[in-house]
Amino acid sequence: MLSYDIVVVGAGGAGMMAALAASEDPDLEVAVLSKIYPTRSHTGAAQGGINAALGNRDPSDSVEKHFRDTVKGSDFLADQDAVEFFTSRMPELIQELDFYGVPFSRDENGRVAQRPFGGASSPRTCYSADKTGHVILHTLYEQCLKRGVKFLHEWFLLSLAVEEGELDGLVALDMRSGAIHPIQAKAAVIATGGFGRIYWNRTTNALNMTGDGTAACFDAGIPLKDPEFVQFHPTGLASSGILMSEACRGEGGHLLNKEGERFMARYAPEKMELGPRDLVSRAIETEIKEGRGFGEGIGAYVQMDLRHLGKEKILERLPQVRALAMHFEGVDIIEEPVPIRPSCHYMMGGIHVVDYKTCRTPIEGILAAGECACISIHGANRLGGNSVADVVLFGKYAGLGAREIAKQRSLPSGKKVKKEADRWIKTFDRMRRKTEGIPVTEIRDKMAETMWNNVGIFRRESEMKEALETVGRLLEDYQDACIGDTSVRYNLAFVHYVEVGNLLKLAKAVALGALHRKESRGSHARADYPKRDDGRFLKHTLIYKKGDDYILQYEPVKITKYRPEERKY
Amino acid sequence: MDTVTLRIKRYDGVKEWYQEYQLPYEKGKTLLYSLTKIREELDPTLTFSAACRHAICGSCAVRVNGNAFLACKTSLDQLLETFETERLTLEPLNNFPVIRDLVVDWEPKLERMKAVRPWLIPSEDGDPSEGFRQSPEDFRKIASPTDCILCGICSSECGQLSLNQEGYLDPFILNKAYRFAVDSRDAAPEEHIRPALEKGLWKCLHCMECVTKCPKEIDLAGENAYLRQASIQMGERDNKGARHAYAFVEDVKSKGRLNEVTLPMKTEGFVSTMNRIPFALRLIRKGKINPLHMPREVEGIEGVRKIYEHAQGVKEP
Repeated sequence: MLSYDIVVVGAGGAGMMAALAASEDPDLEVAVLSKIYPTRSHTGAAQGGINAALGNRDPSDSVEKHFRDTVKGSDFLADQDAVEFFTSRMPELIQELDFYGVPFSRDENGRVAQRPFGGASSPRTCYSADKTGHVILHTLYEQCLKRGVKFLHEWFLLSLAVEEGELDGLVALDMRSGAIHPIQAKAAVIATGGFGRIYWNRTTNALNMTGDGTAACFDAGIPLKDPEFVQFHPTGLASSGILMSEACRGEGGHLLNKEGERFMARYAPEKMELGPRDLVSRAIETEIKEGRGFGEGIGAYVQMDLRHLGKEKILERLPQVRALAMHFEGVDIIEEPVPIRPSCHYMMGGIHVVDYKTCRTPIEGILAAGECACISIHGANRLGGNSVADVVLFGKYAGLGAREIAKQRSLPSGKKVKKEADRWIKTFDRMRRKTEGIPVTEIRDKMAETMWNNVGIFRRESEMKEALETVGRLLEDYQDACIGDTSVRYNLAFVHYVEVGNLLKLAKAVALGALHRKESRGSHARADYPKRDDGRFLKHTLIYKKGDDYILQYEPVKITKYRPEERKY
Repeated sequence: MDTVTLRIKRYDGVKEWYQEYQLPYEKGKTLLYSLTKIREELDPTLTFSAACRHAICGSCAVRVNGNAFLACKTSLDQLLETFETERLTLEPLNNFPVIRDLVVDWEPKLERMKAVRPWLIPSEDGDPSEGFRQSPEDFRKIASPTDCILCGICSSECGQLSLNQEGYLDPFILNKAYRFAVDSRDAAPEEHIRPALEKGLWKCLHCMECVTKCPKEIDLAGENAYLRQASIQMGERDNKGARHAYAFVEDVKSKGRLNEVTLPMKTEGFVSTMNRIPFALRLIRKGKINPLHMPREVEGIEGVRKIYEHAQGVKEP
């Protein structure tokens, strides 16, 4: 049986930072498995930047201000001890990335350049033009090559085996050979990203953002924390949902309705377009709902106007954004406003992390970092520029945490994981041979439709109940799914079957968490409970999965410094 | 036009075949849209890679009628117009081992990339807790080369690589060498350049296909020229490529034109050139070269020399 001291699942920003931190100890055998090559990971899609209170552009900025902005942005649901830990360590992490070779844009003094971002009281978002995630991802990959990190390329996580509350191992499919392997490990760092694909095409997320690690943890008994908090990015391209970076608003872009009015004046008179994402998304949807958008129905949109920035600034600061608008919407932002509409962007919730310093979960040996994890530093709404920051910082601490565990634990028996692998081998075999049934894509599309219509930007009880029923039915249909591909070699149809199974489990948790949170907070906006209710809901949702049953619990929020107050921008 | 036919090269690990799929024509769609439609509506066994859908992850490059494209950002209408057809042939990238259908194996390429030490060798001006200072001008030098998404289109298009998989590095690998060689934070540009030189840097055919096809419009040929110049500045003059370049420089300086008879001797040395005598005889027989031709100075040679004088005064390439 394959065995490692530490297995990192996922090779995006969090996974590679974890691998780098873990492999600093030459005595430990570390492997990174990922269903795609590291540089294909979704970290690369992050455009606008990474937050750190360096004070390069605004000397009055401070870690304290970053802390306060993040807590306020989270609508007071973030755990403040974790946020303080995060914001206070970000400046040194930027220097570390610079030393790794990340090509940051620079100010006239040669220091890392910073720009304003939504919900931030100072311009603290460090960037590299509008491809910040891309250059960080590639730089981390270079460092992994330098360090000789072992990658298991195109291996797909199937499940985690847990025995008596401790990790026994992981089961993964080597996609090329079709072999299913049990892997013994002392520690596993889950860094598999978000699951925005529960909305299938109505998301900025890559096609593979299906929450595989999150679902595996959920099945293994780790609760999902705050899954109902889904961030809708205000500026997705109208026709495809592809992301137009927050840097557009950061650099001074205007949002216009069909009357040509900068409608943000109604919703965030002070911050205007630089309000936080939840607020701006709701503002856009309200404009559309009240008839001030362009077009109708699913095709309705508002405009983002960047023309006044001028050609030179657009080419210097937003070159990728311009190319995206040209290729995918047929609009040159130098000449015309671009049609935009909110698109599912980010999951604030995820795998329940119990110790932010090590990223441990309730199960000994399993750690989580990045979008798949919920520490929680984003609470009910994440600020732009805090995601790549979260990924690299907690990726690093998860790697250090895994090292600690690997030093303490001996290699588990591997009995349970062997059995688990046998079960998967049978499933793979059965699904390859099955010739009739419901196409996986049909189940997936129905899930996305009900989630978008009923658990989207504005929510109400009756609709969410309908979504829960539909997802329940789809989970039954899934038992009769058919993949239509008999190949052992590189069977992507089987991979997608497992992915859709993961999405269904997670979609149900999102709907359930949302239904029971009878208040509006951050990204969770209920038409039937339009106010925040700190008396009843200043707490984290925890959803446990026991077989097919979902069990709902709550946990208090850690408040160290900032008492909840009304959130105005 | 009602339908579009995609003829796709299939491979299952054992056998290869071409399979045709007909799709109803829809205006304004991408190539990735068509591939997805086939997989989801016609044939779930069709295998290809894709992830981000917006040209940043580099997963979805394929060949269409022999030319490499990123499927997500390539408009189907443009392809139909360019190739003046309603029938397109799709194949996996050239110069890569194929795993299944349109999916290629990147592992050997990434292994090769290590040759140029594709990571920053940090100079003493920086440290892990303070980072570096870098001027905006110096940042601009690395802005374009760090756009590379490792999509493999340049490898697929590379003329030299098609002839010579072992003796040449893929353009994206040379781009990595360049990216670090020009980074003001790097302490040892020669450690990135020398391996490139040893792996056939001078063998580029100048076909420019990599530059034309790069979805990120990186000036790969210009970078190659820089790496060659830098290798000469490192003192690497005693190799065929550098000698060939010097022979050009000297011939043109003295006569304003090339001397094709002496060029091989200056490049390859006397012994190697002697080995080429049978080849030279064939060229003479066909009238391609004249061994007795001694080029005279061209008219306006003074002008040529003035250009040389001026060039010598210019410091930076």
